[in-house]
Amino acid sequence: MASIVLNNVDKIYAGGVKAVNGLNLEIKDGEFMVLVGPSGCGKSTALRMIAGLEDISGGEIVIGDRVVNHLPPKDRDIAMVFQNYALYPHMTVEENLAFGLKLRKMSKPEIAKRVNEAAKMLGLEQYLKRKPAALSGGQRQRVAMGRAIVREPQAFLMDEPLSNLDAKLRVSMRASLNQLHERLGVTTVYVTHDQVEAMTLGDRVCVLRDGILQQVDTPQNLFDKPVNLFVAGFMGSPSMNFTYAELVRDGAGAAVAFAGYKLPVPDTAFAEKAGLERYIGKRIILGIRPSDFEDAVAANGASAGWARVPVKANVTEELGSEINVLFTIDAPPVEHKDTVAAANDGDEEEAAALPLTGDKSLWTARVNARSHVRPGQNIELVVDTHNLHFFDVESGLSIGHPANVGR
Amino acid sequence: MKTDTAPAVTPVRREVRPKAGKQSAGLLGGVSHVMLVLWTILTVTPIVYTFLNSFKTNTEIFGDSPLALPQQWGWGAWGRAWETSRIGEYLVNTVIVVAFSTFFTMLLGSMAAYVLSRYEFRGNRLIYTLFVAGLSIPPFLALSALYKVVDNVGLLGTHTGVVLVYVAYSMPFTVFFLTAFFKTLPTTVAEAAMMDGCGHARTFFQIMLPMAKPGLISITIFNVIGQWNQYLLPIALLPGDKQDKWLITQGIANISTSAGYEADWAGLFAALSMAIIPILIVYVIFQRQIQTGLTAGVGK
Repeated sequence: MASIVLNNVDKIYAGGVKAVNGLNLEIKDGEFMVLVGPSGCGKSTALRMIAGLEDISGGEIVIGDRVVNHLPPKDRDIAMVFQNYALYPHMTVEENLAFGLKLRKMSKPEIAKRVNEAAKMLGLEQYLKRKPAALSGGQRQRVAMGRAIVREPQAFLMDEPLSNLDAKLRVSMRASLNQLHERLGVTTVYVTHDQVEAMTLGDRVCVLRDGILQQVDTPQNLFDKPVNLFVAGFMGSPSMNFTYAELVRDGAGAAVAFAGYKLPVPDTAFAEKAGLERYIGKRIILGIRPSDFEDAVAANGASAGWARVPVKANVTEELGSEINVLFTIDAPPVEHKDTVAAANDGDEEEAAALPLTGDKSLWTARVNARSHVRPGQNIELVVDTHNLHFFDVESGLSIGHPANVGR
Repeated sequence: MKTDTAPAVTPVRREVRPKAGKQSAGLLGGVSHVMLVLWTILTVTPIVYTFLNSFKTNTEIFGDSPLALPQQWGWGAWGRAWETSRIGEYLVNTVIVVAFSTFFTMLLGSMAAYVLSRYEFRGNRLIYTLFVAGLSIPPFLALSALYKVVDNVGLLGTHTGVVLVYVAYSMPFTVFFLTAFFKTLPTTVAEAAMMDGCGHARTFFQIMLPMAKPGLISITIFNVIGQWNQYLLPIALLPGDKQDKWLITQGIANISTSAGYEADWAGLFAALSMAIIPILIVYVIFQRQIQTGLTAGVGK
C-alpha cells in the first residue's frame, strides 16, 4: 500500500487541448479517493496518467516513494478496473485472475491460493472454469475486480466500474465495494461522473472541471460547504436552487431579498462566513438546497431560524419517503458559467420539462412525505436560514469559504 | 411524477400477428433456398465432373454422355498422375512452399497490422498507404523485374525465392484486412494486459492474437487458397531446368501441354482432383472456426 501524490500534473493532447491543468492532489495511504466531474473534465485522463496508460505532459506523479513518470504500467505495482471490464475473452475466469500473477513468476500454489481467496471473496467459485462470454454483467464486473484484488497491488484504480450495471445491481455492488475497501484497506482512486456514487464511496471526493481541480474534501463538507457555484450545483440531487438576490440590513437585522421574498440571515452566518459583511447592499447569488426546505405544516414546531416561503407547487414527485416539490419563483434564472456547466452534466432532473418564461426560474424543495401536497396547490414552505449559501456574482466563489478568503 | 396538466393516457398495445410474419418469412425462405440450390449446383457440378472424369478413359470423356458414370472404377489415372507426371512430388513441394509462405505472411502481416492500427507514430499512415498501394500492382507488371531481382540474389529456382515472393505479394491485402480488424477490437483489453504486467510483445501474442482469431482464420484461408493456386509466379521463378522444384500447378499444366495429341485427360483430371482435395480439407477444418463474436465476454 502506498500514497499517491500528483504535483502540478498537466496533460496536453496533440492539438493543444489541455485535459488536465496543474493538478495537485495527495491521496493518502489506504484512502478511497473519488474523482468526480462532468464528462470531459479530465478525471479519466488523470486516472490513466496514474496508471501509466497516458504520458504525463508536465509535473510529476509519485506512488509510494517513487516518481513513476517514466515507469511503464507493469512496473508501477497498481491494478486497474476498467469501465467495460476488459476481460480476456479466450481465457476462463480462473486464467483471467491468474494471468497477472503468472506474469510475475509467482509459484503455482501461491497463485491457486490467491485466486481461490479472491473467488471466495467475490462469490465466483462456481464460475472459475467458465469463459467471460458465459457470465452475466455483474459476474464479469466481479471478475474484473478479482483480477485487481489477486495482484495485491499498492493501489487500485477504477474507471467508472459500475456504470455498465443496471441500477439495482449498481447499488449492491457499491455496498460491496465499500466493504471490500474496508477489508483490504488498499489505496483506491475511483473515477465516476455519478455524484451519488462519489458521495457514498469516497473517504474524500475530488471535484474536477475542465481539467482544473475545484475542491477536495469529505463528501459531507462538499455538500455543506461547496467552494463555488459549480461544486454547489454539481453535488447533491436534486441540485441546489440558485437565484440573484440582494443582501440588506435594516432595523430587523440582516436579510436576503429575492423575487418578492425576504429571508432573514442569522448573525451566525456572518460569524461563519468571513467577508459576508462587505456584501451588504450588494447583489449576490443565493443558493438553497432542496433538502433545506420543509413543508410548514409538517415541520410544525421547528421554527427557530426557519423562514416561511409561500409558493404554488407546479409539479410534485412522490418518492415514497419524501416529495420533491417543483415551483417557480419570479426571478430570472441564474446564468453563470458555473451553474450552466453543472446543470449540463449533473443529474438530468426535469428542469427543462416546464416551459419557463424568461423571468421565472424553477426551484425544487424536498419535503416530508406527510405533506400531501398536490400539483397546483398553494403551499407554505419553511427554509432553514442557517444553511443559506452565498456566492459572488462575478467569480461564482462561495463567500466566506476558507479556501476563498483572499481570492 | 404528477403535473397539474395531466397528459391523456394512451395505452400502447403490441399487436401480435404471427401469421403474416410467418408467411413472408416462408416466402423469403423459399426464394433463398432456390437460390442456394442453384448456387450449389453451380459450384458442385464442376468438382464432381472433375472427380468422375479422373476415373474414365479418354473415349469415355469425349463420348456421347459426359456426365455418365465410368464403366470401370479404377485408380489407374491417379497412379499415372502421381508417378509418371510426378504430381505427388509437386504436391509435397507445394505444401512446403505454401506452409512457409502462409506462416510468414500471417506472422509478419499481423504484426505489421497491429502496430499500424494501435500505435501512433510519425509515418504510420505513410507505411500503411505503401502497404495498401501494393494491392494495385498486378503480378504481370512486375514479372520481369521480379525475375531479375530473384535471379540476382541467387534465389531463382529455389523454394526460398518463391516463399519470399509469395509473402511479399500476400502482405498488402493481409495488412489491409487485419488493420481494419484490429481496430474493431477493444483497446482496453490491451491496456488491462499492460496493467497485468505484459510488455508490448506479450500483449500482442498472448492477448490480441487470440482475440483476432476469426479475422486471422479468414485471411489465412484466403492466403492459402491464393498461394496454392498461384501459377504465374512459379512459372517465372521455377524455370524448366529445375523440374524437381516445380509446384503442382506447373505439373498439371505440363500434363496437358507436353503430351501433344496423346494427352492423358484422365490423368489430368486425377491431378486436378489431387490439387483440389487439400484445399477442400483446409476449408472444411477452418470454416467451422470462423466464428464472429469471439470478443463476446470482454465487456458488459
